[in-house]
Amino acid sequence: MIESVGRSVRESLEGLGSAGRISLEAVRALRDVRTWGPLLTDQMRKLGVGSLPIGILIAAFMGIVLALLASYSFTNSVPRYLVGTLVQKTIMMELAPVLTGLALAGRVGASIAAEIGTMRVTEQVDALETLAYDPISYLVVPRMLAGLVMFPVVVGVAMMIGLIAGWWASMGLLDMSSVQFVKGARMFFDVFDVRYGLVKAASFGVAVTAVGCACGLQARGGSEGVGAAATKAVVTSAVLILVLDAFWAVVWLLRRVT
Amino acid sequence: MKKRSNDFLLGIVILGAIALVIAVSLFLRESDIGTKRHQITARFRDVGQVQVGNAVVIRGVKAGRVERVELAAEGWVHVLFSLNQEVALPPNPVLLLGASSLFGEWQATVTGRQSVPANKDLYAQLADASGDKDGALPGAVLPDIAQLTSVAGGIAGDVAATAKSIQLAFNDSAARELRSSIHSVKLMSDNLARTVNVQSKNLDTIAVDVRSGAVALSRASDAFLRNIARLDSATSGGEVQRIMKESALAATQVREASERLNKISQSFEKTEGSLRSVMFRADSVLIKVDKGQGTLGLMVNDPGLYRHMDSVMVDIRGLVADIKKNPRRYIKLTIF
Repeated sequence: MIESVGRSVRESLEGLGSAGRISLEAVRALRDVRTWGPLLTDQMRKLGVGSLPIGILIAAFMGIVLALLASYSFTNSVPRYLVGTLVQKTIMMELAPVLTGLALAGRVGASIAAEIGTMRVTEQVDALETLAYDPISYLVVPRMLAGLVMFPVVVGVAMMIGLIAGWWASMGLLDMSSVQFVKGARMFFDVFDVRYGLVKAASFGVAVTAVGCACGLQARGGSEGVGAAATKAVVTSAVLILVLDAFWAVVWLLRRVT
Repeated sequence: MKKRSNDFLLGIVILGAIALVIAVSLFLRESDIGTKRHQITARFRDVGQVQVGNAVVIRGVKAGRVERVELAAEGWVHVLFSLNQEVALPPNPVLLLGASSLFGEWQATVTGRQSVPANKDLYAQLADASGDKDGALPGAVLPDIAQLTSVAGGIAGDVAATAKSIQLAFNDSAARELRSSIHSVKLMSDNLARTVNVQSKNLDTIAVDVRSGAVALSRASDAFLRNIARLDSATSGGEVQRIMKESALAATQVREASERLNKISQSFEKTEGSLRSVMFRADSVLIKVDKGQGTLGLMVNDPGLYRHMDSVMVDIRGLVADIKKNPRRYIKLTIF
């Protein structure tokens, strides 16, 4: 058991290391626009547009639950309009980026790891190299760029849907007036809230796609290796999302608080 | 064809998402695109907890928001406010910053200088901030709720200390004493009422007596007048001289009787002294008897002695009876 724990930790660190190495190689491969350019749109559609439904669904339920939770937590001495404040702040700064990021880590990360892993075990990656295509430019860069651009898009939509869902829940289920909710949402709103959430989402997108690509490229064996690569990509991405969340809170949010 | 379709869909999604985010952000930020606003600047020494986005109100109606808060030279803080175009500032305007609720919300109130609450500190702040050469309005910060609650807390502490002191002073003993005092006052009041009642009756009686006395005096006065008239008639017949002689004789007899009475009184005094001496001696004898001193005292106070004497008397009585009965047993007359 001790050996398995040690092995899993080592593999996780190796995964992170290889993801970092692949990210650096991807930055270098950005010059090869002719290779990754034609593939970018397709990847963005698959990663972003294809993820919108799950993002919207999560955000809608998130907003409803958060409004109900806020109303339940606030006693009579707390004004009702603070439900709007709590929903706005929490969804925009934390829940929309993190929950959507985790959902996309499952969907996108596993998809990328499985796709590239399959290419690796079926030697398609080797074939690309034989045809003088850089696998990083062809496979990794478009996916990472798609993640960088489309994660904030999906998270931005999720923010708005979550806020609207919370607004609707406050009016329909909590007997709050629209004016009250909007007053609370406006009271402490700052554009920084949106900026902070979107930047976090972009970092999550890069991390999820980089980890997915790294796990896929490291896949060995047959279908079993592909499945293991997908699982590893999801777990590592989820952990990395939470680590990055804490990182941004400490680096960016803490500075504004103090 | 498929690629074009992908691009279109992607463009729609990205532009839609951007538009949605911007629209909601502008809505939440209360940005009125196309609405003209005018801006004013006020300067403060301290702005409390005012933040960008806080409301600006005029006579309780929201009329704008705080746009910028920045440090300025000479220890000032400049705050930029945006006001709705149609809003007219009151004459001689000043800006007052203060908490609008207990939850950390602050607001800026635009008001005329004559409407500023009567507070020396506010007046001092406004006087200090007046006269900016760049035209910034003077501003002041109203006391924070924390300050107010601090003062209220101090007052509550004083009240608690006073209550504690009262509690210490007014213990059970004090309550009992107070109750006793109240009872005493009640008794005194009852007594006073009774006294007043009695004295009132006495006064009534005195008044009646005075009235009857006055009547008697009147009668006496009449009698005196009649006697005077009689005296006046008597002086002419020598009756007064005779009366005077008889009066002198009577006075002599009275003096003699008095002397005799005086002698008798003196002899009574001597007799009384003898009696007192006898009584004193008898008293001392009785005290000794009572203390068991002397024979009589021993006899009186010692029941054993009494019983012993009693048995002796019985024996003597038996002996005398036996002597009477058999005299030869005790008396022998022999000649030889």
